[in-house]
Amino acid sequence: MEIVDYIQFVLAPQMINGLALGIAVILVALGLTIIFGLLDVINMSHGEFYAIGAFGALSLALVGVNFWILLAAVPLLMAPLGFLVERLLIRRVFDSKDRHVSTLLLTFGLSLILEDTLRALYGPNTHRVDAPVSGASDLFGIIVPNYRLLLIAIGVIVICVVAFVTYRTRLGAVVRAASYDRFMTSSLGVPVSWIYAGTFAVGVSLAGLAGVLLAPLYSVFPTMGRDFILLAFSVVIVGGMGSIWGAVIAGLLLTQVQALASLVISPVWTDPIVFGTMVVFLMFRPQGLFGRIGHA
Amino acid sequence: MHDRQSQIMRANHFFLLAFCVGAIGLAVYGSVSGDAFYLRLATEALIFAGLALSVDLLLGCTGALSLGQALYFGIGAYASALIMLETSSFWLAMVGAGGASIVAAFLGGLIANRVRGVYFTLITLGLAQVVGKIIYNTRELGASDGIIGIPIVNVGFGQWSVSAASPIGFFFIVLAIIAILYGFLAYLLETPFGRVLIAIKTNERRVPFLGYSAWRARMIAYVLAGLVAGLSGALYPMLRGFVSPELLSFSASGNAVVSVLIGGVGTLVGALYGSVILVVIKSVLGSWTEHHLIVVGALFMASILFLPRGLIGLAHSRLPAQMPESQETASRSISLSQEAS
Repeated sequence: MEIVDYIQFVLAPQMINGLALGIAVILVALGLTIIFGLLDVINMSHGEFYAIGAFGALSLALVGVNFWILLAAVPLLMAPLGFLVERLLIRRVFDSKDRHVSTLLLTFGLSLILEDTLRALYGPNTHRVDAPVSGASDLFGIIVPNYRLLLIAIGVIVICVVAFVTYRTRLGAVVRAASYDRFMTSSLGVPVSWIYAGTFAVGVSLAGLAGVLLAPLYSVFPTMGRDFILLAFSVVIVGGMGSIWGAVIAGLLLTQVQALASLVISPVWTDPIVFGTMVVFLMFRPQGLFGRIGHA
Repeated sequence: MHDRQSQIMRANHFFLLAFCVGAIGLAVYGSVSGDAFYLRLATEALIFAGLALSVDLLLGCTGALSLGQALYFGIGAYASALIMLETSSFWLAMVGAGGASIVAAFLGGLIANRVRGVYFTLITLGLAQVVGKIIYNTRELGASDGIIGIPIVNVGFGQWSVSAASPIGFFFIVLAIIAILYGFLAYLLETPFGRVLIAIKTNERRVPFLGYSAWRARMIAYVLAGLVAGLSGALYPMLRGFVSPELLSFSASGNAVVSVLIGGVGTLVGALYGSVILVVIKSVLGSWTEHHLIVVGALFMASILFLPRGLIGLAHSRLPAQMPESQETASRSISLSQEAS
């Protein structure tokens, strides 16, 4: 019965850990893919917004704010930041000849500033945030920490809400219309520039929410965004830029690859394997799982 | 006949001349005053200028933004370090690093040149991450510590030789190599091949109709950029005596892109100025505060927003009047520049 033991105590917990990470990566990637799919902007500073979310959770937790309030407060506080970034920076290069490259470079500069500001404010050391729930549950003989279950539940709800709003509501239809043809949409009386800024703010809020959710699981440090953004970009690429469901499937896929590779091969080799998967995907299916090739 | 491209490149040669004269002047001053630290720092700035040159060949000439160009810089540095551990020959190290970076860039180009635009940028970033992490995990290559204790080489020219340990001697060698790399790329851009690259940047779809293979031209440009980065990287272990996975990191690639953008995209010489400016900012501000990245990032964003043609572009707008050329070509260059704008 060794195989059953292996599955029960090694493989399954590892896959559930991968699932928890996957949900968090999808939240970060969701913001990226919304910003890309609807605004056609490559946001290289997205990882830093994720880090700001984690540091926001850290600071507010230190002054005694309850974790459940943080979940709503941090994304709400970060929305104006995203709004301002779009109005003050992205807007200026929106009509440049090569929008992808100019927005990518501009947000790359922004990421340097944000990362160093975090380091100036909090120092280079790592911090920890306490989880709101402790202990572990027994799911069909598999021991899973409660906080990971909570993260998976919240993440799934958020992803479903975002997908519902985008594809099933009038607001989502207006936003998609604005991204499809902004001149036509604005001539129908839609304030397109505010829609764009609002969409960017939502993407930034989602990154902040992922930061809050992941802060109790991983340590919080100023360069945390840099490591995470590459994984999120891989998810967006493999899923197909701009596709929400692509990001979900690719996020689950890549984090399972990561979880299993760290189990079967070695934890230190997971990054080459995950990024190698991304490179192979780009080579043979550059539009990703659900992307449209004409989009980039 | 000089078209606008030649005009720009000729003007850039003046900036290169000014760059070299300034560098030599400062180096002699530094050597006389016995300031080895700043000479070493200036040499490092020149080495990273080679990496920036490689980014500019891709971004400025074919319009492809690579965020992983430090990959070839690092491969050159590791190849050179490994060769010097065995033979301590400068020329063998350079040839080996050049060969290794050509092979690597050919393989990388086969992968990266399948896609364009943002996908190209992200695939280059991904490739550099993969190779960087592999080196980081390979114990034979020193893993995360890198390789230390690389012997000092002598750069031999027939009868006489210069030790890489001599601050001013090695500075001049690096300056000469970077100037040669610049000259080579500037010459290349003047050839018909260079015009094909510019045609790709402007409108890649039309290039095949003119009878040129866009893919082949992009491959050649990519491999050449890898070679330039690899040769620059080969100089790094001679200067510092060690190599580490940091050389392949995202921040190394990012710094090169920042240098190119600050200096001026597509000018080649702007990459050299940008790299020096970046190193100066980092070391001057670094002595006051740890948080120089805030300033670098702000400067970078400002140069994208307000100075899209970089510092060299800023100087260019007044340049044609000062250039020693006939009245006829000068007036044509003005009318051409009006057309272009």
